[in-house]
Amino acid sequence: MRKASIILFWGIASLCVIALVTLPINLQTQLIASIAVVTFMAVLKILKAEGTWRLTALAFGTAIVMRYVYWRTTSTLPPVNQLENFIPGFLLYLAEMYSVMMLALSLFVVAMPLPSRPSRAASEGKYPSVDVYVPTYNEDSHLLANTLAAAKAMDYPADKVTVWLLDDGGTLQKRNSANLLESQTAKSRHQELQTLCNDLGVKYLTRDRNEHAKAGNLNNGMEHSQGELIAVFDADHAPARDFLRETVGYFEDDPKLFLVQTPHFFLNPDPVERNLRTFEKMPSENEMFYGIIQRGLDKWNASFFCGSAAVLRRQALDQTGGFSGVSITEDCETAIDLHASGWNSVYVDRPLIAGLQPATFASFIGQRSRWAQGMMQILRFKFPPLKRGLSIPQRLCYMSSTLFWLFPFPRTIFLFAPLCYLFFDLEIFTASGGEFLGYTLAYMLVNLMMQNYLYGSFRWPWISELYEYVQTVHLLPAVVSAIVNPRKPSFKVTAKDESVLVSRLSEISRPFFIIFAVLLLALLVTIYRVYTEPYKADVTLVVGGWNLLNLILAGCALGVVSERGELSATRRVKVTRQCEFGLGEHWYPATIDDVSVYGARINVYAKTIGSPAVDTRGLIRFTPHGRETAEILPVAVRNTQADGDIVTMGCQYLPEAARDHSLVADLIFANSQQWTEFQLSRRGNPGLLRGTLWFFGLAFYQTSRGLAYFFSKRGAGGKPRASAGAKK
Amino acid sequence: MTKAVILALTLLALPAGSLHAQAVPFDMSPERPASDSPNVTTPTEDQGKAPSNFQPVTVAPAAEAVEAVPFQRYVLPEGSLGLTGEFEDRLWSVYLTPQQAATGTKLNLGYQNSIFVAPETSRLTVEVNNTKIAEEAIRSPESISDLSLNLPKDLLKPGSNLIRLRSDQRHRTDCSVQSTYELWSNIDAEKTYLSFAGNDPLTMQSLDDIKAIGVDESGLTRFNFVVPALEQPGSTVPLMRLAQGLAVLADMPNQSFSFETNKVAPSGPGEMTVLVGTPAELSRLFPSLPDGAASAPVAGFVRDAKTGSPVLVITGPTWQGIRSAIESIVAPTDVAGPARRDVITTQRWRAPDAPFLFADTRLPFSQLGLKTEQFSGRRFRTDFTIGIPSDFYAAAYGEAVILLDAAYTDAVLPGSHIDVYVNDSIASTVPITSSGGGLLRHLPINVTMRHFRPGVNTIAIEAILETESDKVCAPGATGTDEPRFALFDTSEFQMPDFARVGQLPNLAATAGTGAPYNRSVDPVPLFIDRIDANTLSAAATFLGRLAAGAGHPLAVETVASPALIGNRSAIFIGSLSQMPPMAFTQMNISEASRNTWGPNTGAQAQGVDTQAAYDEWRDKLKGGLFSGQISALEGWLKQNFDITLTSLRFAPRSESSFMPSSEASLLMAQASSPDGTGTWTMVAAPTGKDLRDSMQALSGQANWSQLGGRLATYEGGTKTVQTVPVNSFQFIPTQAGSFSNYRLIAANWLSTNILSYAVLLAVLAVVLGLATATMLSNLGRRQ
Repeated sequence: MRKASIILFWGIASLCVIALVTLPINLQTQLIASIAVVTFMAVLKILKAEGTWRLTALAFGTAIVMRYVYWRTTSTLPPVNQLENFIPGFLLYLAEMYSVMMLALSLFVVAMPLPSRPSRAASEGKYPSVDVYVPTYNEDSHLLANTLAAAKAMDYPADKVTVWLLDDGGTLQKRNSANLLESQTAKSRHQELQTLCNDLGVKYLTRDRNEHAKAGNLNNGMEHSQGELIAVFDADHAPARDFLRETVGYFEDDPKLFLVQTPHFFLNPDPVERNLRTFEKMPSENEMFYGIIQRGLDKWNASFFCGSAAVLRRQALDQTGGFSGVSITEDCETAIDLHASGWNSVYVDRPLIAGLQPATFASFIGQRSRWAQGMMQILRFKFPPLKRGLSIPQRLCYMSSTLFWLFPFPRTIFLFAPLCYLFFDLEIFTASGGEFLGYTLAYMLVNLMMQNYLYGSFRWPWISELYEYVQTVHLLPAVVSAIVNPRKPSFKVTAKDESVLVSRLSEISRPFFIIFAVLLLALLVTIYRVYTEPYKADVTLVVGGWNLLNLILAGCALGVVSERGELSATRRVKVTRQCEFGLGEHWYPATIDDVSVYGARINVYAKTIGSPAVDTRGLIRFTPHGRETAEILPVAVRNTQADGDIVTMGCQYLPEAARDHSLVADLIFANSQQWTEFQLSRRGNPGLLRGTLWFFGLAFYQTSRGLAYFFSKRGAGGKPRASAGAKK
Repeated sequence: MTKAVILALTLLALPAGSLHAQAVPFDMSPERPASDSPNVTTPTEDQGKAPSNFQPVTVAPAAEAVEAVPFQRYVLPEGSLGLTGEFEDRLWSVYLTPQQAATGTKLNLGYQNSIFVAPETSRLTVEVNNTKIAEEAIRSPESISDLSLNLPKDLLKPGSNLIRLRSDQRHRTDCSVQSTYELWSNIDAEKTYLSFAGNDPLTMQSLDDIKAIGVDESGLTRFNFVVPALEQPGSTVPLMRLAQGLAVLADMPNQSFSFETNKVAPSGPGEMTVLVGTPAELSRLFPSLPDGAASAPVAGFVRDAKTGSPVLVITGPTWQGIRSAIESIVAPTDVAGPARRDVITTQRWRAPDAPFLFADTRLPFSQLGLKTEQFSGRRFRTDFTIGIPSDFYAAAYGEAVILLDAAYTDAVLPGSHIDVYVNDSIASTVPITSSGGGLLRHLPINVTMRHFRPGVNTIAIEAILETESDKVCAPGATGTDEPRFALFDTSEFQMPDFARVGQLPNLAATAGTGAPYNRSVDPVPLFIDRIDANTLSAAATFLGRLAAGAGHPLAVETVASPALIGNRSAIFIGSLSQMPPMAFTQMNISEASRNTWGPNTGAQAQGVDTQAAYDEWRDKLKGGLFSGQISALEGWLKQNFDITLTSLRFAPRSESSFMPSSEASLLMAQASSPDGTGTWTMVAAPTGKDLRDSMQALSGQANWSQLGGRLATYEGGTKTVQTVPVNSFQFIPTQAGSFSNYRLIAANWLSTNILSYAVLLAVLAVVLGLATATMLSNLGRRQ
């Protein structure tokens, strides 16, 4: 009753706002209202008002957006009888309406995200049995060793947890392949991994045929195990020690809980971050999703399975026949089915695994293509808005998640719309300069401010646009093909073990340069037309300004596809941990400064140690988490640097036994707190103005870098090399 | 009765059963009961009697006619007419009596043109009833040339005849757009007339012929009443009714009424002498009264023995009978119930009539009287009229749409533009931005309704065409007749639904359609401070104007004391000093003006014009850097967005007290009655003579259409109308309440009170924010 009256009150308030914003008021009134609203929102932002004021600011923004929609719908469409204007004009209109709809959906999702849940690690409880699945297809054993070692090291009663390596690269089908190379590779992999698993105390499981890709592999795992709960980690996702302790407890609270999802934290930058060098200072792309959107979804019980770093309930999966495999994003699909059958999900906003991102732009695009195509398949086969069993908020949430991947269409339209006018003189948006100021500019400002309000410290201004643009170029054909032929896309495992040693252009960079050239030409046309056609300079300037914005994005994207060569394959994580360094017979007091998957840097307190030769064998002795006694990890000294009494050494791990992998895992993955700290260190909101200036500066620099790569023809089209061979 | 008399009269026992019986020229009712109310126009007891019992009685004229100048029927409705620019097309109708139609032989036209008009390429076309009767080169820069155009037989017809004048003028040497403003041909009203075979057409025979009153050589139409019993209180109401009826029948653009008591002056073209009184009263002035007037009401034309001109005589044995006689003329102009007009009749000065737009309407240009035109010059201008109801309330937000069908050749350069003017104020500009020619198919042009006002509105479309050849301007280039622009009559004017609610005060509505008095069912109290010739002349002219705007006579009653008015809608006419104090308060006119207003005697202290002084001081102090920036911003806002600091307001400001200037010779003001239910309109002047003369001047089409605001003054010296805009007003509902209308009213109110919208939006957004916060913290998961 109380809820109904609250909803009724909200409905009446909304109706009043709608009635007010759909009044056909004149431009002057609109202008004053826009200025008032923009000022008000700016003040609230500057005061960092939260809570109710945050929602009020969003309501203000919504009002202006709705006015824009009303005006855009009623006054700006070209007349239908001018088809050459109307068709592109209507497409642009649809693109804008899509953006507005997505804004509305994301407002719904993230208007009031659930606050982070308190840590449960300390609380005692029942320990249900857990099967840990690490599905693999082609990842190399070194990577798997770290992951499996980390999984084994999780803090949980040992008799209650079984770690499974689910190998799809060594199936019978592959081992018996007619392709000689494939069968030999599969056989040796089968052998090698079995040995590794034995050493680590992990169960190895493979199957006969590679059916239904990852979902099939996981279902095969379910058939061979009995644990009440199932934890899934991708091959490169190593869990922290407290992963199970932080997650398993929720299943006891809620018998209808099928999923506890945790964020994916990455140790290395994605290609965009790497090439723009923003990894250390700017929040990662996926932080917006895991930092706020999943929390928003969680409020509506719609947090969904992201394929890894999650715990699921076997009973729930059994009910729907295991993991669904209709689409190539089996994770989200499984979650929809279970949500629709009345099961609940929980999201734990705390990075508990660390993983790797694809290093090259091409792999990055490959990964995103899979997500986009998979979401299109879900849209097609499950159509969340009409899926029975989902609550209305859940439907809206899934709509938001799946429809998001249609972004290549509007992005393309926004990219080319100004060209219609600049090159072909089409008038696809009928508005005067004053109206543009009063409606469109206000809408854009409000839109930027709302985004900043919603995602400010997770997503800096213009970064969403950049990511969407760099993906659009190659995602558009992928999405179109998935829409046209939804059964065609197949699961492709994203390569994450590549690295770029030599600076070069990505092999799929050509379209970016072509688009940049076209937009640059459009800029020149703008300038030319402003001078030769002064009678419509105002329109030309507005459209040219829009094109300039596109050009800045396209220029920045040139930097994204110009891949920097880098020596270090993975990022180093700051740890600061006490240890002892052994060289020869001596042990020196030392601290581990930072670690990566391949090595560590340690500060040794030793006047006498001198400067050991490169590749000198040394030892690091430290106490792993949850152990009483210190253990020894062999390393090779790669470089040294003396500063007074402190000698800083770069060491490379020399894991010999399986136990060494556990030690490496303990160094890097054991402490999830350090990842949280790292994320927080780069989570700051630069604000709209500063962020925009920063972005323009970045874009300018990246444009010049991209052009420099282009004209020096650095290895354009060269293939990336797999790290296994490259790093040595 | 030795002189020849033409008497066209019908004796009727049925005054108004024949409301639509136009065939019967007039009616009267001798048996009418004496107690009958003067304002009852349809005495029921008489209904049902057949009108066919009565036949017009025509007294045949005697052979000898009064020697007079040949009768000339002036045809220019508003005096001399200037045909300006490169293209102009004027169409209007002239009402002819059957006799005039039968005997009309020639259309004379006198014109003089600007020296710049090139005779080889400039043409003046004359059409009568859509038949071209002349196409002449325009070649009379030195003096007025007369064209004498023969009219084909049977071209003229009884009733309305359309006359079209169309000019195509080109400059002799210059090809610039600016030069087109130097092109004009002045059609001289005095030399432009229809002439007839014989003198008979002067005579008026049936009462229908009242419509053929026409104009004099300066475009004026005058009804001169001679009423010996003018100052009898009982005569005022029937006289006012008669004046209104005549105004509606004639419906000329500049018509006025004057009253005399004792002199019958000869009437010329555009004039009509109307004698009203009992035979006893009239016989002294006018010996040749029709027979039977002593026994029954009579209304009809009688030729004045002395002057030879026809006189409309309205007489009867008693004033009661005279009323019946008046009814015979006026009753046909009454409307039954609140009938809605489809058009505002304007055809006497411009045809076709203006369609009356009440709601969403689409009208093709062909229906608005525009024709497809192909144009080879550089400035094309054409216009049409529409009628807007008095409760129009969309000036702040509304936009009408012209769906333009037009074409231009590749010679037309970008930078050319098509402008739309509403009542001579620019309302929209469409730039032509593409070279290579263009075919515009229903191109929507938004036309702001800002300059719309109740009544007739003129919307002009002007195309300014620039071409390369005009820039070069080789000899003869002006004369090229290759079309470069075409406007098609398939273009449409679209009026959307607009907010409709009456506003009080609103002189524009009163001037445009006589609102709100036109809707009054009960007689409107008319307070006249002195019943004398001057005041009644002004009252008749004023009411005649309202009736013509409303399309029907308004029922009025005289009140002797303002106390009797109460809160009803009323009209006050008289000298300002005699106006009731309540009127001063309501209209917010300074009481002091009661004594001070009058011709400037020089004794008054020279006041300082505060606004001018303020502006002067502001200009003087415009040195400061900061204030300079502010005023620059203000100017920019004003120029680009029409936002001024005064337009930033939450609600209407209150009115300030008004003091008429000494130059003003007439004041018209409107306000609500004390309890707000009625509308009071006041027409006042310092003296009776001012009242009469200024009212006559103000009632002319050009001045009348400028009336607006809550208060207007007419300055006789400068012949200008000044208005005081409405600040605070009240709504008068005119429509059944509907959500869509309320919504549009709100849109207009908020568009006027700009800050209120911003505040309302802010308040609602805060409410919505709170509601959302409450909802979100009650729905979904909470911790």
